[in-house]
Amino acid sequence: MRIALGILCAGFGLAISTLPLMAHHSFAAEFDASKRVTLTGTVTKLEWLNPHIWIYIDAKDESGKVSKWQCEGGAPNSLVRNGWTRESLKAGDQVTIMGSLAKDATNTCNASQVRLPDGRRVFAASSEGEGGSKGGEKQ
Amino acid sequence: MGTRLFRCILTAAAVLAAVPVFGQGRGGYKPPEGPAPKLDGKPDFSGIWQRPYTPDMSITATNLDGKPYPPEKPGPAGRGQVDPNPPAANGRGGGRGGPRVLPFTEWGLKQWKEYDPVNGDYTGACLPFGLVRSMNSPDPTQIMQSKEYMSILFEQNTWFKVFPLDGRPHDPNKTPTWFGDSVGHWEGDTLVVDTTNFNGRTRLDTNGHPHSDQLHIIERWQRPDLGHIKYEMIVDDPKAYTEKWKNERTFTLRTDWQIMEYSCEENNKSLWEGRIKIPNYDSWK
Repeated sequence: MRIALGILCAGFGLAISTLPLMAHHSFAAEFDASKRVTLTGTVTKLEWLNPHIWIYIDAKDESGKVSKWQCEGGAPNSLVRNGWTRESLKAGDQVTIMGSLAKDATNTCNASQVRLPDGRRVFAASSEGEGGSKGGEKQ
Repeated sequence: MGTRLFRCILTAAAVLAAVPVFGQGRGGYKPPEGPAPKLDGKPDFSGIWQRPYTPDMSITATNLDGKPYPPEKPGPAGRGQVDPNPPAANGRGGGRGGPRVLPFTEWGLKQWKEYDPVNGDYTGACLPFGLVRSMNSPDPTQIMQSKEYMSILFEQNTWFKVFPLDGRPHDPNKTPTWFGDSVGHWEGDTLVVDTTNFNGRTRLDTNGHPHSDQLHIIERWQRPDLGHIKYEMIVDDPKAYTEKWKNERTFTLRTDWQIMEYSCEENNKSLWEGRIKIPNYDSWK
């Protein structure tokens, strides 16, 4: 399964800035910000639970091969305050997820952008950058 | 890492650093105006408060005279040398200029350099955040104050803290805890809260600035008007730092918010699937 590595400089910055970063624990403990993925496919499940929502997706690569992925999103309470609900994404929806790969070599990512086919972003939240050189997003 | 990707990360960092730091919730909210309410002649801090998320306390840290510390990485065109800004009155975070080098002792510097959350991330593992990180967290708090006590209800992991306001001394027989032992007293219209007896199992912020079990936190709370709290936290830890230093922040009253339950434990896949580990606290000594 091929992973598309999206490296768009300005877009990359914007992607990071929309990252639902109320993470309040270390991003770098779990994810590698330098290893980016773009997954396009069908949502199979949305878990709307603390401490993070999880989006499960059957991602299809250019050859049509499907692989199962799980991607972590923001905290449900923050998302609710930004107008999102557990109905904002449903099983069967087509999405493109851009994110960072987990360090454990599984099909796990931290989603920084979730886009519908018409380009609308889902779960974009007012967010803050993880400042500093340790523990957070590498800057 | 390839040069192109590295440059993209730097560009992303520059874009990210330039993005104004928002609190939660939609833009356009304005807190109500008016004088601060009083309870028995003293400011009443009760309310639901939006706080600036503070993952790195060094960015807005100053010594007790208000002087910022040297930047970790001086950037181009004066970036990294800008004085830190206190958060704006609407609760937005401030502190542009990047992380700064706190006045570490030798022990503190070793703790800072050796910290790697890959080896253990206590908040990621749903262990208690402790006082300082609970005050740094992005989630709102609800304060409920009586004449005798102040209680702070942290949405973050649904924790709370209650402490007396009568200026009593600390009880030396109490067991050290994650949140420490707090006692408050009034200095005019300023509530001064003194906290000691921490168990040393937390970090000061997400980025891992250390503290020891000698940590002593002094908080100064003021409510200049209905919509705002002016908050100061002084970090006094002679084992980790050579001098006291502080953060100043502004909290914003949110009349449109309710505190929600936040169960860290209910679906912590990252912990269950092994991507987050519990720290080995013996290695913190």
